[in-house]
Amino acid sequence: MISFSQVTKRYPGGHEALSGVNLAIEKGEMVFLTGHSGAGKSTLLKLIAAIERPTSGVVSVSGQNISRLSRHAVPYLRRNIGLVFQDHKLLFDRNVIENVVLPLDIAGLERRESLKRARAVIDKVGLLNREKANPISLSGGEQQRLCIARALVSRPALLLADEPTGNLDAGYAADIMAMFRDFHQVGTTLVIATHDDRAISALGGRTLHLDHGKVVEVAA
Amino acid sequence: MIGWLRHQKHALTCALRRLLAQPMATLLTTLAIGVAISLPSGLYLMLDNLNRLAGDLPAQPEISLFLNADVSPAQQQAIAARLKQADIAQARHVPKEQALTALSASQGLTDITAGLAENPLPDAWVVRPQASTREELARVADALGKLPGVAETHLDSQWAERLQAALAIGRTGVWLLAGLFGFALVAISGNAIRAQVLARRDEILVSRLIGATNRHIRRPFLYLGALQGLLGGLAAGGVLAIAGGVLRAPVAHLAGLYGSSFHLLPPTGLAIAAVLGLTTLFGWLGAWFSVARTLHQVEAAR
Repeated sequence: MISFSQVTKRYPGGHEALSGVNLAIEKGEMVFLTGHSGAGKSTLLKLIAAIERPTSGVVSVSGQNISRLSRHAVPYLRRNIGLVFQDHKLLFDRNVIENVVLPLDIAGLERRESLKRARAVIDKVGLLNREKANPISLSGGEQQRLCIARALVSRPALLLADEPTGNLDAGYAADIMAMFRDFHQVGTTLVIATHDDRAISALGGRTLHLDHGKVVEVAA
Repeated sequence: MIGWLRHQKHALTCALRRLLAQPMATLLTTLAIGVAISLPSGLYLMLDNLNRLAGDLPAQPEISLFLNADVSPAQQQAIAARLKQADIAQARHVPKEQALTALSASQGLTDITAGLAENPLPDAWVVRPQASTREELARVADALGKLPGVAETHLDSQWAERLQAALAIGRTGVWLLAGLFGFALVAISGNAIRAQVLARRDEILVSRLIGATNRHIRRPFLYLGALQGLLGGLAAGGVLAIAGGVLRAPVAHLAGLYGSSFHLLPPTGLAIAAVLGLTTLFGWLGAWFSVARTLHQVEAAR
């Protein structure tokens, strides 16, 4: 589903976030990215979602070469990818359900169908009674679950999560990880950047360790 | 097709919601556009009414044809026949006796005319040609002057020409003003949209990350610009309606002093539709110029 071949990403100013990375992630896999901060985890995720382009090498997602993707094709690629951010990136000018429905509005789904699907996914992350609340009134864990709901509402085949439990206490973090395990079980491909070792050992799954821009496979 | 319509509807509701979310900003922009547009539209209305007033007066140019004193009946008939041709709208024969009577009656010259041994005035025709341009009029006058028995022609179009020239300047002024204020409208709309785009920075960036196309992001702002233009056009209509209401009585009073039944007429439905259409278009245009630039800025600053 995802393959990196000799991928290097150098930022303006000379900092090399990734150097000569090779990796392959199969459809339906759950993969953890670990490594100290600044090791290139976020950069790797951004390359998959075409938020950044590689300086050299080939990134391919679902058979599409990201470096060659035209600007007009990028939005359609992203509609098949669910993104979960550490800082949630929620919109505080609208309530919970309006946040979740946003990707479906963008895809041009019929409004009633959109709301139905949004409600179903809000139920799945346990926020159904907060449907009309403003996200600003939610706790950190709830905000993260809302972000996950928004990432999942368009039923993407691939979910990318950047430090999804970074700001959460252990109880909330375990909740979120359990949720990811459920998605993995229904066949979603997951790539999760985290340094929460407990979560990794609890869930199991393949782990890729990033060290100064290089990838090292960690034996399970 | 249905998907496209759904996107349009979604963008329109977004735009309406954004307008209503900031009533004060909407009101101010609407007023700015309304006042700007009411100036050229008001001038246009004024000229339209003046033109109508001018149309009530005999602005039609006339050619006076003075005949030789010894003109023969055959020549008279030939001239009368010529004046029945298609390029002549109307021709009135003024025999010299009638001219003399009119002269003595109107100018109070009875004493002098009564003392004349014979009538010094020539037979004449007052001709109103079909033509309206200066060149055509001159050509017709020239042709009539060459008829046998015609002593002289006199083209009386000066005052009509002056009025037409003044109105033409006015019309040019309207277009100049309309152009200038069209620019102003584009600038006002562009500025308002720029503020809107900057205020929606987060939404734009998040939408991008979850697969929004350029068009999807731009569309509500374009609708917003168009709606803002339309509201501005309606506001201009309101300004003019108030101005018309205030002016109606004084204008009627002035016209009454001149013994005229002249009164101000409101614009036609077509003119109203044209102004609203243009303000909508210019509002959209301002949004279009502004949104691409501002989006670029917003995304570069990420």
